[in-house]
Amino acid sequence: MNLDKNPLFKNYFKNISYDEMFTPSKEVKSSWLSLYEKLNALGSDVLTNRQKELDWLLLENGVTYNIYDDPKGLNRPWNLNSIPFIIHNNEWKHIEKGIKQRVKLYNLILKDIYGARKLIKNGLIPQEVIYAHKGFLRQCDKINYTFDKLLLVFAAEISRGPDGRMWVVNNRVEAPSGIGYALENRTNLSKVHSEIFNEMNVKRLTDFLYKFNDLLINVAPNKNENPNIVILTPGSHNETYFEHAFLASYFGYPLVLGNDLIVRDGFLWMKSLKGLKKIDVVYRRVDDAYVDPLELQEDSHLGVAGLLDVVRKKNVTIINPIGAAVVENPGLIPFLPAISKYLLDEELILPQIASWWCGQEKEKDYVLKNIKKLVIKKIDKSNRESIHFGMYLSDDEIKEVKNEINKRPYKYVAQEHISFSTTPTFSNGKFEPRKMVCRTFAIACSEEGYTVMPGGLVRVASKPGNVRVSNQRGGINKDLWITNDDKPVLENLYPFKQQKSNVITSGLDDLPSLTAENLFWAGRNLGRTLSVARHMRVVLNQFNSHQSENKRPDSQKIITLLKSLTHLTNTFPGFVEDDEDGNSALDNPITELHALVLDANRYGSLTNTIQLFSNSYFSIRNLWSADMWRVFYDIKSIWEKLTDQDVITNNLIVKSLDKLITRLIAFMGLIEESIKVDQGLLLYFIGLRMEQNLLTIAKVRAIVVPKYNDYTEHELLIQLLNSHESLNIYIQTYRSNINRENVLELLLMDVKYPRSLAFMLKRLWKDVSRLPHSNIEELHNYEKCVINAIELLNAQKITDLVKIKPNSYVREDLDTMLENISELLFETSQSITNRYFNHTLKQEQLASQNFTTN
Amino acid sequence: MNISVSHITTYNYDAPVSYSHNIATLKPRTFEGQKVLDYSIDISSKTNEFSERIDFFGNYITRFSITDAHNKLKVTTKSIIDRDYSRVRERFFSKPCKSVTLESALKMLQVISPDIIDAKQFILDSTLIKNNNEAMHAYAMESFKLNRSVFEATHELMARIFKDFKFVPGFTNISTPLSKVMKEKKGVCQDFAQIAIACLRSIGLPARYMSGYIETLPPPGKEKLVGTDASHAWFAVYIPSFGWVDFDPTNNQIPENQHIVLGWGRDYYDVPPLKGVVYGTGGSKLNVAVDIRSI
Repeated sequence: MNLDKNPLFKNYFKNISYDEMFTPSKEVKSSWLSLYEKLNALGSDVLTNRQKELDWLLLENGVTYNIYDDPKGLNRPWNLNSIPFIIHNNEWKHIEKGIKQRVKLYNLILKDIYGARKLIKNGLIPQEVIYAHKGFLRQCDKINYTFDKLLLVFAAEISRGPDGRMWVVNNRVEAPSGIGYALENRTNLSKVHSEIFNEMNVKRLTDFLYKFNDLLINVAPNKNENPNIVILTPGSHNETYFEHAFLASYFGYPLVLGNDLIVRDGFLWMKSLKGLKKIDVVYRRVDDAYVDPLELQEDSHLGVAGLLDVVRKKNVTIINPIGAAVVENPGLIPFLPAISKYLLDEELILPQIASWWCGQEKEKDYVLKNIKKLVIKKIDKSNRESIHFGMYLSDDEIKEVKNEINKRPYKYVAQEHISFSTTPTFSNGKFEPRKMVCRTFAIACSEEGYTVMPGGLVRVASKPGNVRVSNQRGGINKDLWITNDDKPVLENLYPFKQQKSNVITSGLDDLPSLTAENLFWAGRNLGRTLSVARHMRVVLNQFNSHQSENKRPDSQKIITLLKSLTHLTNTFPGFVEDDEDGNSALDNPITELHALVLDANRYGSLTNTIQLFSNSYFSIRNLWSADMWRVFYDIKSIWEKLTDQDVITNNLIVKSLDKLITRLIAFMGLIEESIKVDQGLLLYFIGLRMEQNLLTIAKVRAIVVPKYNDYTEHELLIQLLNSHESLNIYIQTYRSNINRENVLELLLMDVKYPRSLAFMLKRLWKDVSRLPHSNIEELHNYEKCVINAIELLNAQKITDLVKIKPNSYVREDLDTMLENISELLFETSQSITNRYFNHTLKQEQLASQNFTTN
Repeated sequence: MNISVSHITTYNYDAPVSYSHNIATLKPRTFEGQKVLDYSIDISSKTNEFSERIDFFGNYITRFSITDAHNKLKVTTKSIIDRDYSRVRERFFSKPCKSVTLESALKMLQVISPDIIDAKQFILDSTLIKNNNEAMHAYAMESFKLNRSVFEATHELMARIFKDFKFVPGFTNISTPLSKVMKEKKGVCQDFAQIAIACLRSIGLPARYMSGYIETLPPPGKEKLVGTDASHAWFAVYIPSFGWVDFDPTNNQIPENQHIVLGWGRDYYDVPPLKGVVYGTGGSKLNVAVDIRSI
């Protein structure tokens, strides 16, 4: 093969040191040969298409990560390269052994640090490496656990060093991320390259995830065979929130926030719709210091007060145990070979980077002298910002770093700057060599000690020359394929044994109350988006056919419709009243109309409502199906396309509204078939119907209550029917001209028409009576409110309601009845909130404790 | 000498608290020169999850929850203590203590032995005392010289803090940065203790925070008033080959029998008398009353 002429590898060998796929003499390594041939056979165009397909799949499945401190960083699409990274099983067996040794070692170190501290007493670890590490939590000292291993989940990052061996670069133990992303990478990549994937005998991940689930169950206190397990997330702004939600839905355990949990009577409980539910195991993605504001970080709102004491009482198991972060500690690296000798009587299987801990005089002097050649890290800060590459620092920066080291030498470790290997990455139609680092995972496992995931999360630099590899800097991900010469034994595709399955998500009673609240608001916001979009479309269409200039309309119909929009969106003064300066939006109707559609900062605008809907949607993303993601993505992109336009016309808005409305309806259909009532669909329905009722009432009040001349009223009734999508039904039902009484009969009273107020109130009643606390002895306030609303409506006849007093310009009786029903609905919402989602009692610190005297 | 201590902490809440988790460091420790003969704790509401344990530093930690709604939390502790610190205090003035110079102290701290390892953690930064203030180091260096006795230098440092700093209640609270206290030279006992600790750590000596009480003596011929005693704080320095030595910069004295120790740690954060998390909405008012009597 002549690589220099292969367009796929054009310029690949410029500035390349050593590569995963090629030998220094540009021969393809044997483990990569099969993949190389297959990719070559596909050619640049097919590969480009597959990359596009992959990008599309990830976008549609809503695979995202968040970047902190970046307003545009939320829910960034996940960047997965279509070329996997390959390790042959023969090499992998050795790596696996090395990772197992590491996790065993770190487990013993962790146990010692929070136990006898022999390693410190016997001089194997300088005390500062532990005592000055902010991850050493004295509150966790000498805790007894219910299981023999302390370290349950472990991640080691490996890269290939200049000697051709895989080196351990660092480790993650606090709340390692990546298992879910690795699984998602595998799912999507194996779809795109299905034939290559099958032919290359890639090791499967399923068995590992199966064991992960076993781990969650087996660590439960008191050997409970059906433990209640939750996944604790810091919330939807966390950088890896996608993964928290993904794992929650993959395993079927509730995803909870700190405020969903509470400590009482020495146990941990989840606040659910029905009441409190005892929790046995917490797989947490909240950092150590934040899990208990009583004993640890006091201002944390991410944890549960008193949790640590429940751990001490052995009534709950946290994965990983609180305090584990102390071994996420590069200060240990220089001492690891000796520790390994001492604890295991073994040499380290996998090499590590030469490291100098500055707490020792000689080492510090070496580091200060050779700083330009070294990489400087803090022992307890693993974020990229606190890692300094000496070779890239200016003289001033070097001075500053040296100064910091001199102030607290024991806080710093310097490592040799190693140039790690590159791996082929598909970019712009050809391959480019990129630096890579591979995150591997190990979990505790009762039979074998630890088990290593046969795969991992590979990240490569965002540009060919880049040294740093990080998702926070826009890195690219890869799937890791452990390839075999023989076909792997196919495992169960569906992961979980039933006998150990767990029942916690099975009932409405067990729904975490924050999830319930988010579903309720997803319903309300979706209902609002749809009703407002439809009404806006009607108003814009009418406005367009009446005038095109931005001046005060002369038609009573148009003015009434504009005003109804203000009522519906609650954006007063709007078209209804003059503002503080005596100006009326009616004088510049197009300006206000566009603001109501587009202004993201205006509460009540459509853009704002869509945003609220997305927020409530993201907070419960673990419940949504793949199809829903596709449609949701569509909704967002339709709207982004519109708001990104430089010149926006009414027609353009109407077209976008048409598309938006269709997708919203598709979305609502999908929700109804994708989520079970038990999972909280009921709450969604209650929110949806409540909002739709409120908006129907607002429309009718704005359009039918005022009295105009017959022609105008007739025109307005048609638009009301249009906005309510009921014109056809009306014509088929009444086969007559548009008539006020009939329209109101249809929209308000017709119990056989699913869009009528009467029908929807009845459904609302049915739904609220299925809530866990309904129908018990006495009616709850929310039940009473809905019943009262139904009775109010039943007590009236349309013919009476539309009567108007002499010399009056409003239909007062109609208005009063609708106002009362509206208020009852608001009260229902309030009462449900108080009963089921009450988080107003947040945990607060006792007043700051000042010494009073002396 | 037997001493009785009564310590009442009261929180009055603006709005009812539905639930609270609390941690108290209110049970005095026993060690050479201080023996706890009797101790009791009384909590105004019915408690739940009441437990006691010993923390990392050897202090007694009491953990309790209150499960019924309450408007007030009143914690009363009563102890009888045999405080006989005179002999310990005498030893501070002996040769083995006074002869240790800064130079020899720093050298001895390099040795790996259980005592030294344990003491050395008190040189490191702690939650409230971060050793990054040049002013603190310069202030300490006025008293410390390599060939000077650590005890004498510390004694002088205590006296200087007593002289240079003004006792002003209410000027600081627990979140006031030490650098501000250093700059303004105002504060209360825990500020002075923490300033001294920061100074000692800045020159590489282990120093710890002492939490406790001090008995105030009435003016001659007058009867003592109830409630004039107080929570108190001071510091101790570790002199290698000798041990820990107490100093009270608020009163410019080496504690003897008027000082009662509750516990010690790296700073106030490790030994707050009472802290907690409440589930409620309003604020609260704190009242502390301490009464100490010789019996």
